[in-house]
Amino acid sequence: MITVEGVTRVRGRTRILHEVGFTARPGRVTGFLGPNGAGKTSTLRVLLGLDRPQAGRALIDGRRYAELERPLTVAGALLDGSGAHRSRTARAHLRWVAASNGLPKGRVDEVLELVGLSADAGKRAGRYSLGMSRRLGLATALLGDPPVLILDEPVNGLDPAGIRWMRTFLRERADQGRTVLLSSHLMGELAETADDVVIIDQGRVVSAGTLAEVVGDHPTLEDAFLARTASRGAAW
Amino acid sequence: MVKSGMVNLVQAELRKLLWLPTAWVGLLLGLVAAPALVLVSAGGTRRAIEEGIAGDPSDTAFQPLGIGLLGALILGVVAVSSEYTSTGEDAPRARQLTTTLTAMPRRYRLVAAKAVALSLLVAVQGAITAVATLVLTEVVLGPLVPPADPGRAAAAVLYWVLLGLLSYALTLIFRNGIVTLTVLIVNSSVVSVSYLLTKVTPLAAYLPDIVGAHMFLNEVGDVDIAPLTAGLVMTAWVTALLGLGAWLFERREA
Repeated sequence: MITVEGVTRVRGRTRILHEVGFTARPGRVTGFLGPNGAGKTSTLRVLLGLDRPQAGRALIDGRRYAELERPLTVAGALLDGSGAHRSRTARAHLRWVAASNGLPKGRVDEVLELVGLSADAGKRAGRYSLGMSRRLGLATALLGDPPVLILDEPVNGLDPAGIRWMRTFLRERADQGRTVLLSSHLMGELAETADDVVIIDQGRVVSAGTLAEVVGDHPTLEDAFLARTASRGAAW
Repeated sequence: MVKSGMVNLVQAELRKLLWLPTAWVGLLLGLVAAPALVLVSAGGTRRAIEEGIAGDPSDTAFQPLGIGLLGALILGVVAVSSEYTSTGEDAPRARQLTTTLTAMPRRYRLVAAKAVALSLLVAVQGAITAVATLVLTEVVLGPLVPPADPGRAAAAVLYWVLLGLLSYALTLIFRNGIVTLTVLIVNSSVVSVSYLLTKVTPLAAYLPDIVGAHMFLNEVGDVDIAPLTAGLVMTAWVTALLGLGAWLFERREA
């Protein structure tokens, strides 16, 4: 369960998040939707304790991420890139991450298998394609077998087969009772994947609910999205 | 739980450092430089001693150890700078630091774990190098130099560990390895600003990059500082700078 309450964040003189609040529940895929620069990544970074909000709080199972003991067993995160130093092999990267949370070495090969990287585990991360980097990032998120997954634009850079694989994969995780929160600016993709949708625009949550609730009377999620964020869309 | 957590963190940081090619440059440079210097300079050193212009003969065996500190400096820098290296062209703003902080979100503990891992590596490297250098000096110069005092060898290893921590602390502060390496290497090998300053005021001899040499050498510059005093001053510098670095690291956005 993810709870974000009244998160406000100011960088320099710009207020990039304005009292952002929503929940992501177990057993469901929650889509965090918004145009580029709307505050999706900023919100996820606050949730993961990477950046600090000026007000509000973001909790995972009732606790701040930075307070978690062995956090990888509670929540797994996929952010930009693979997260691995480019001169390290995928296996070496996953081994130190596993060690940091006291996870058994055997987990490394399990997650490599799970994301389909076993054959390339000995390659340096810097030589990975974009799709392989995303898979390595996902493998890192899965190391601790966490009940919560937080993914920033997980399908970015994936080919159609990779997108379908990711969609199925996340669906299965949610069906196992896990909480899956993923951000995206791709509406068609989210409409296929998400049970619940949170729309953010210019640092404010403008709509939240089940997919059906958010779509409402609009023909598609895309129409609903453009209607809610019309203030900006006009320029196009 | 807290204790086992810390052990995990140190293990992770050791693995990170040992599986990094640039760290191995530091390790190998540290291991090879000092013994190599003994061999290369053997002829000159022998002549200097025979002509009586070598200074304190008990320093002779320890002087080459100074150059090996390059390895400790590089390790200290790499421990931090590798976190800030871009992971690849696809995502130029992505860095290993994000993974590190999501795996180990308590930042003071992380800084401490890195310091422990770095100290362990430099201590092992320093001990091997010190023994190799002193034995080699004994073989090459034989009776020309007095037998090496084990206490001074230990002090030299401690000096390396402190220098490694100093470069780690500076890189935490600057978030940039080039700045640290420029300050410490240029200052310790090409033109020592700190040493020139000692000509202005003897107090400059207590600056962090040069005071430590007094821990294991009798004759350093024009100022006499007792080994224990030097060790304490150096430790105080490292503690203060590491404290500042950790405080900045805790406050900054990742």
